[in-house]
Amino acid sequence: MRILRIVSAFLRAAILKETAYRAELAGNLLRSVINIGVAVGGLAVVFSHTSELSGWRLEQAMVLLGVYYLVQGIVQTALSPSLNEVVSEVRKGTFDYVLLKPVPSLLLSSTRRFVVWHVADVMLGGAIIAIGLIRLEAQITVGIAAVFVGVMVGGVAIVFSIWLALTTLVFWFVRVENITMIFQLFFDTGRYPVEIYPFWLRQLLTFVFPVAFITTVPAQTITGREPLVAIWLAPLIGILALLAAARFWRIGLSRYTSASS
Amino acid sequence: MPPDISVRQLVKHYVVPERAGGLRASFRSVLRRKHRLVRAVDGISFEVERGEVVGFLGPNGAGKTTALKVLSGLLHPTDGQVDVLGYTPWDRRAEYLSRITLIMGQRQQLFWDLPAADSFLVNKAVFGIDDAVYKRTVDLLTELLDLGDLLTKPVRQLSLGERMKVELAAGLLHTPRVLFLDEPTIGLDVTMQQRIREFVTAYNAETGATVLLTSHYMADVKALARRVIVIDQGKLLYDGALAGLVQRYAPHKTITVHLERSVDLPDLNGQAEVLSVEGLQVTVRAGKDDAPEVTGRLLTQLPIADLSVEDPPLEEVIDQVFRGDGP
Ligand SMILES: Nc1ncnc2c1ncn2[C@@H]1O[C@H](COP(=O)(O)OP(=O)(O)O)[C@@H](O)[C@H]1O
Ligand SMILES: [Mg+2]
Repeated sequence: MRILRIVSAFLRAAILKETAYRAELAGNLLRSVINIGVAVGGLAVVFSHTSELSGWRLEQAMVLLGVYYLVQGIVQTALSPSLNEVVSEVRKGTFDYVLLKPVPSLLLSSTRRFVVWHVADVMLGGAIIAIGLIRLEAQITVGIAAVFVGVMVGGVAIVFSIWLALTTLVFWFVRVENITMIFQLFFDTGRYPVEIYPFWLRQLLTFVFPVAFITTVPAQTITGREPLVAIWLAPLIGILALLAAARFWRIGLSRYTSASS
Repeated sequence: MPPDISVRQLVKHYVVPERAGGLRASFRSVLRRKHRLVRAVDGISFEVERGEVVGFLGPNGAGKTTALKVLSGLLHPTDGQVDVLGYTPWDRRAEYLSRITLIMGQRQQLFWDLPAADSFLVNKAVFGIDDAVYKRTVDLLTELLDLGDLLTKPVRQLSLGERMKVELAAGLLHTPRVLFLDEPTIGLDVTMQQRIREFVTAYNAETGATVLLTSHYMADVKALARRVIVIDQGKLLYDGALAGLVQRYAPHKTITVHLERSVDLPDLNGQAEVLSVEGLQVTVRAGKDDAPEVTGRLLTQLPIADLSVEDPPLEEVIDQVFRGDGP
């Protein structure tokens, strides 16, 4: 209950802040729409030359792209703003005020900031998924939908964990922006099914930097394609990743509290 | 009643990598890092009773901020025991953090783009303050700090001093019992410094909160703290009444005499130095031990209308302490 109240207080502040910059808000929304439009257009161009890409049809690839924007939207709305704030606060020294609050620091650090207009990406992503599914005339049973949601939640947990782990590095190295750029680089590979990449990269994206679980696997589950790996692996890896990242956060924090600046 | 704050043999050392100059040295230091130990706090002990206002003094780098960070649970000490309100600060228990505050003059916690009132609501949720208590607290702080309409303006539009006032309020919304204030008046103009001081005094009187504050403005210390703790290079130099600090460290006294008529000054035997002669007013400075004798000689040898013996200004005394050539 308390947590909900805290999060809604932050959310309220975030909405106030965004609406204080209405002009920017409109510009950002427009940019979202254009970005996604260009990406869908790109797919259409590719598929005008071929009817299949590593076994994926246009509509299936669209669903995957929708999943990509959905996750990207969630990350940019709720996860990366908070975690980026940690990086800048550690540098400014104001992170101390987070540690002074009677709430677990990880909770506070990951729910503090929202960039509300990125919700547009979530909605556009959802729309693209819907269009793809309709054109596929896919039969979505409640069971399939539930599995899809489970897999998605696992994917988001994985993204969050990776992002959190990279953020935690700030307790050792004050400059970590480059690292989050590397994250974005890997994450961008998730616009396409991992099958299109050469073997070594596919392995890397499945087992080391598991982008495959974030977009390919959810898209496979809902479009009725044979999944790359056993689907229960997605939520399992999600949970393990969260636990590992939380543990790493505690280690980072204990370093911070042994010598903060 | 046990003291609110009890610190025993507190030690905090930082291990810092040596910064090597030059490219080659940098490469070498990447391979084999050299480290240096900074003894920021080096074995200090003190206690603070409920409701006391104590000034924590020391030159830059003395270890004041480090000590306050340990007391507020941000840093694990290298050694020693600390007990504040019955808690070990660095356990960072929620109940502990709800009872204290650390306000740092140079670090802000409020949302920059929003009115402070919006940040306050966030803190209200974070500390789980209920509506009635919250309203009462905001009213009290508004009155004591004269916040007026400052809470409804975006923080970025406030002046430095106004911002400090709302920062103070933000840090006090949960009515902490113990306040750690690190340079709360830094960079403010004289009037605003005074406002903040008056506030701390009033807040202490109103709520009975215990206050440990650092400042390097002597005016703050004089106005606020009857008791001071002086540290330098991580070591405790003095703990006691402000007046006692002057007694103990003032190396000399200033003797001012008003003459009845103009005469030549007697030989002072090298025991005193004439600081100024302005008309009939003569000011001399004598070592603390010589002062009685010098005063006696002046009284017997001069036609004196008035004579006063004073301690030097506090600023000078503190300087003396920090130069380390006090007794
Ligand atoms: N995070 C840190 N890492 C290494 N050394 C530090 C750190 N913080 C402070 N110091 C050093 O510890 C000493 C005490 O610093 P500080 O507690 O900030 O003193 P003060 O607040 O009295 O000016 C200084 O020599 C300072 O350089
Ligand atoms: Mg300091």
